[in-house]
Amino acid sequence: MSTEKQSLRRKLDRLFVPLTVGPTMLWIAGIIVYPTLKLLWSSVFWTNPIDGQKEFVGLRNFERLIFAEGGSGTVFGLAPDFVSITWHTFVYVGLSVSISFALGLGIALLLDKDLKGRGWFRTAVIVPWILPYVMSGLMWRWMFNSEYGAINGILTQSGLLSSKIAFFSDGTLAMMALVIADIWVFTPFIIIILLAGLQNVPEQLYDAAEVDGAGKVSRFVNVTYPFLKPSILVALTIRIIFDIRALDLVWVMTQGGPGKSTEVWASWLYRTAQVFNRPGEGAALGVVLLAVTFLIVAVLYRVFGESPY
Amino acid sequence: MSTKQSTLGQLIAALGLDTENEWSHVVRERLVAYALLGLYVFVIWFPIYFIFITSIKPTSAVLDIPISFLPTQPTVSNYVEIFQNRPFELYTLNSLIVASTTTVICVTLGTVTGYSFSRYDFVGNKTLLLSIVGARMIPPIALIVPFFSIMSNPPLIGGLTGSLYDTRIALILTYTFFNLPFAVWIMKNYFDGVPESLDEQARIDGCSRWEGFVKIILPMAKPGIAATAILAFIFSWNEFVFALVLTSSEQAQTLPIAVSLFVADDFVDWAHLAAGGMIAALPGILFGLFFQQYIVSGLTQGAVKE
Repeated sequence: MSTEKQSLRRKLDRLFVPLTVGPTMLWIAGIIVYPTLKLLWSSVFWTNPIDGQKEFVGLRNFERLIFAEGGSGTVFGLAPDFVSITWHTFVYVGLSVSISFALGLGIALLLDKDLKGRGWFRTAVIVPWILPYVMSGLMWRWMFNSEYGAINGILTQSGLLSSKIAFFSDGTLAMMALVIADIWVFTPFIIIILLAGLQNVPEQLYDAAEVDGAGKVSRFVNVTYPFLKPSILVALTIRIIFDIRALDLVWVMTQGGPGKSTEVWASWLYRTAQVFNRPGEGAALGVVLLAVTFLIVAVLYRVFGESPY
Repeated sequence: MSTKQSTLGQLIAALGLDTENEWSHVVRERLVAYALLGLYVFVIWFPIYFIFITSIKPTSAVLDIPISFLPTQPTVSNYVEIFQNRPFELYTLNSLIVASTTTVICVTLGTVTGYSFSRYDFVGNKTLLLSIVGARMIPPIALIVPFFSIMSNPPLIGGLTGSLYDTRIALILTYTFFNLPFAVWIMKNYFDGVPESLDEQARIDGCSRWEGFVKIILPMAKPGIAATAILAFIFSWNEFVFALVLTSSEQAQTLPIAVSLFVADDFVDWAHLAAGGMIAALPGILFGLFFQQYIVSGLTQGAVKE
């Protein structure tokens, strides 16, 4: 009886790893690997919108999206939509990430100081990131509302401006509104990651630098930065790849408008697949997005000379 | 001569001029830090304040010009009306069910798997871990096409369930896709910080691997589990894109969708949208205020490798 029980225990012990890792791996295979393979598969088919028949088209979905078909109005042989939407994505991601990084670094350095009420400030600073993006996007759409928005209210009621600005009727201003909302939502993430990284800087090194008469800038470059580098890399990587895929803010604030002036890859993908019901081309865009994401991660880690795992 | 010098020194010291400089420098630096942080907090909280006062203004007063920045005649009518005129109790229920089920699945699987990854050097350990890191980078939106078709016509289980489109199950399955790899990763990193000598002690005391894990290690991992659970809950509660793709009625639509439904082409019902938005934002605000340290530690564990 007791030996039987013991041998069962031993058998269960030997099965510990398969039983704890197996289910998760099966789950991941079903919910991540299979859909990813299906994405690649879907990207080489064209679905007839009328009868739903699928037809194998090879790489034609990619060609149609990236290279113009007719050849007229192309930009170096590329489809004008592809070029302009890629540019918008670049502007959106570039501005949002760089500004929020600079801001986040500044706030993280301030919060790293030995201030009273630091915990309170940290809580207050993190909250925007935890709110539903939809709510944040609509909140900023309300802030920038051309008639009743708080920003126009402040500008006109204080007498700074005589007439209100229709932010969402102008491509550049609409992009600016999106970038501001994005910075508002994601700067807390940078702050959290960098603040954690700052804890790794040994206090004595600051003291030593001070004794050596190092100025603030030199102290940051020579002492803080080397220790902060891994955190900077993580913060930038995650910020960039999350911004490229982000649909929420764009969709609830501008839907890519006015015209197509704020259309980015994510909204283009959604529009193609769901609104225009062209799953083949939507999947092709998904493949492009996937490839670009992995490319960016590879380049960033190469530039910073770190291993990504 | 020397007396004179020391008198001068004493005078300076008495007036606090020598130390004063040092001291005022520190004080000035702190004051600047407080001023900058205060300004930042004021600016980022202003929009939240503005949407909050919008939600408690009478519906018609929202469109008053000039805009009032103070809550004149505060009322809860917008909150009451969204529950009366729209199925907000169903949206809230859907959000609760979807977010908590996803959390339970991800925390359970993430904890046991993260532990094995941390402790055991089994065949394929590195490859599987790398695949989890890779899975975290996949942009969810890239997969809306396959997820839409898989949920409309599920393979293997399709005969049992039929189409999962517009069900909470579809959302739960989908949300495990971004939260499960994250949960495994956080928990693995967390267990890496729990000393292995505890495992060894448990074995010496005659515990099986299972007993040692459940009785000794799991209680040590509570903060890590809390961090994983809070983040998984928030991510699932806030998710919008897949809810938009995979649901179409109040039997599965969650709060973020419900809030977006106040936007109808050119007309936006701002007063009620603000009230709905505040309800959708409530768990986030509460978690942020009361469990901030778990959010920070979870994110840090999840993002930084060690």
